[in-house]
Amino acid sequence: MLLSQTQSLCPVCLRLVDASYIKDGGMVYLRKQCPEHGDFQVPAWKEGEGAPEFLTWKNSPRIPARPREPATPLKNGCPYDCGLCPEHAQHTCTGLIEVTMRCSLGCPVCYARAGGREDDPSPEHIRRQMDTLFRASGPCNVQLSGGEPTERDDLPDIIRMAREKGFSLVQVNTNGLRLGTEPGYAAALKAAGLDSVYLQFDGVDDTVFRTLRGRPCLWEKKAALDACREAGLGVVLVCTLARGVNDHEAGALLRFALSQGEHVRGLHFQPVSSFGRFPWDMQEAPRITLPELMCALEAQSEGMVRASHFHAPSCEHPLCSFSAVYARKGGTLEGPVGAACCSGGTGLAGNVLDNAETSRVSRAFTAAHWSSPRAENTALNDDFSRFLARSGAQMRFTLSAMAFQDALSVDIERVRGCCIHVVSHDGRLIPFCLHNLTSFDNIPLYRGTDQKKGNLS
Amino acid sequence: MSLEPNFTTDGGDWVCARCNVPLEQIKVQALYMHSAFDVFLPRCPSCGLTLIPRTLAEGKMAEVEALLEDK
Repeated sequence: MLLSQTQSLCPVCLRLVDASYIKDGGMVYLRKQCPEHGDFQVPAWKEGEGAPEFLTWKNSPRIPARPREPATPLKNGCPYDCGLCPEHAQHTCTGLIEVTMRCSLGCPVCYARAGGREDDPSPEHIRRQMDTLFRASGPCNVQLSGGEPTERDDLPDIIRMAREKGFSLVQVNTNGLRLGTEPGYAAALKAAGLDSVYLQFDGVDDTVFRTLRGRPCLWEKKAALDACREAGLGVVLVCTLARGVNDHEAGALLRFALSQGEHVRGLHFQPVSSFGRFPWDMQEAPRITLPELMCALEAQSEGMVRASHFHAPSCEHPLCSFSAVYARKGGTLEGPVGAACCSGGTGLAGNVLDNAETSRVSRAFTAAHWSSPRAENTALNDDFSRFLARSGAQMRFTLSAMAFQDALSVDIERVRGCCIHVVSHDGRLIPFCLHNLTSFDNIPLYRGTDQKKGNLS
Repeated sequence: MSLEPNFTTDGGDWVCARCNVPLEQIKVQALYMHSAFDVFLPRCPSCGLTLIPRTLAEGKMAEVEALLEDK
């Protein structure tokens, strides 16, 4: 049964092709045909068993917000004109800057194919990338990514630079090895102005890490969590999820996250997509769709989480993510109390930010102490006040997931609604999935097409 | 749950320009990002136009918005 139509890319030659969402049994597939390379399909959404219906979810209301100043002209049409071009339908919530392509792990699964010997961009080059991002997108969130950012000894300086530019959140995407093994490192990043650590954390036993990361590293990850707690750094655990590898551990990982203390502000799942370095065949990949993950969380969380708790994002495209914000109560969750904005992306804004939170608390403190007696007297007499009282940020926990799009699953409508943009070395903003997208033969659509690091003005 | 009429205008007596009747404290439901908040606000009893006092918009509503967006 045909549910809706869109456009996609041929996974072999990356040409634009028509595509359809077709329901067959309980599964919705994205199907497409290339005149040269034939038919392709990929599971997109599994209905049934308490999961939301595809069309209901897809049509969830959202708030489009176009970029302030498109930087590239319309020439070849989406997705070849990034970016952002005038057709892009969402502003930047999170800008990613890849500060190195070196890596201390070299994982079997890596969308960035990191671990090479490429020279790092200079601090001056990164400063220009930040200027470009700020000019285009204002005080959005910025995530320092890579490669493994902690491979750079000047990472604290880069964090300080981002802080000084005025970005609303500064986050580092890391495997956690250096945080877990170098005494004082977490405190140094905190002192530089880091708001949040986006910590790769795929499971609760080393079998999972061996498969996805190439070696056991659970103890280093746990040590990184301890170091962040001591340093007062908020952490979002980020789990790459593959069927048959760690989808049975989703509930255990949630319980583990909750047991670590209030500095763990959320758990974000990223079902596998075939980018860059990927050990499976793209067409045989152990994919898991968002509704399957919702149901797995319900089944594995002993009643804490229900599939019906989750909301579609109001910022990026509904098919890209889900989220729920809960109140913590001891080692368990109550709620949900709401949904996160931009649940993902990289999940960034969907999760918490100490500085932003600090300013909120200070605003609240000021309001409580300097507002009129009338306001004080009515403190808990309305829904807004009750919500604020029971939602102390340190007591909140965000559970979210984002489905990245690879050459098989890419949907041009989704790409146009993307709010997570990578700042390329030549100063363009490229939606995250398009930046990382590679063909069956590992030919990138964008990554590496900006090799000259010096030509950003 | 108490739903006191606690969000009044920031000052003065407000009249609906369209209906020319004074605003009254009426229970309204504010919706944002899948959350609903029942509050009493100054509202035109005739056409339903609702006034959100500046102190509320810049205070609790802004805080609730920030929390819901988790920013």
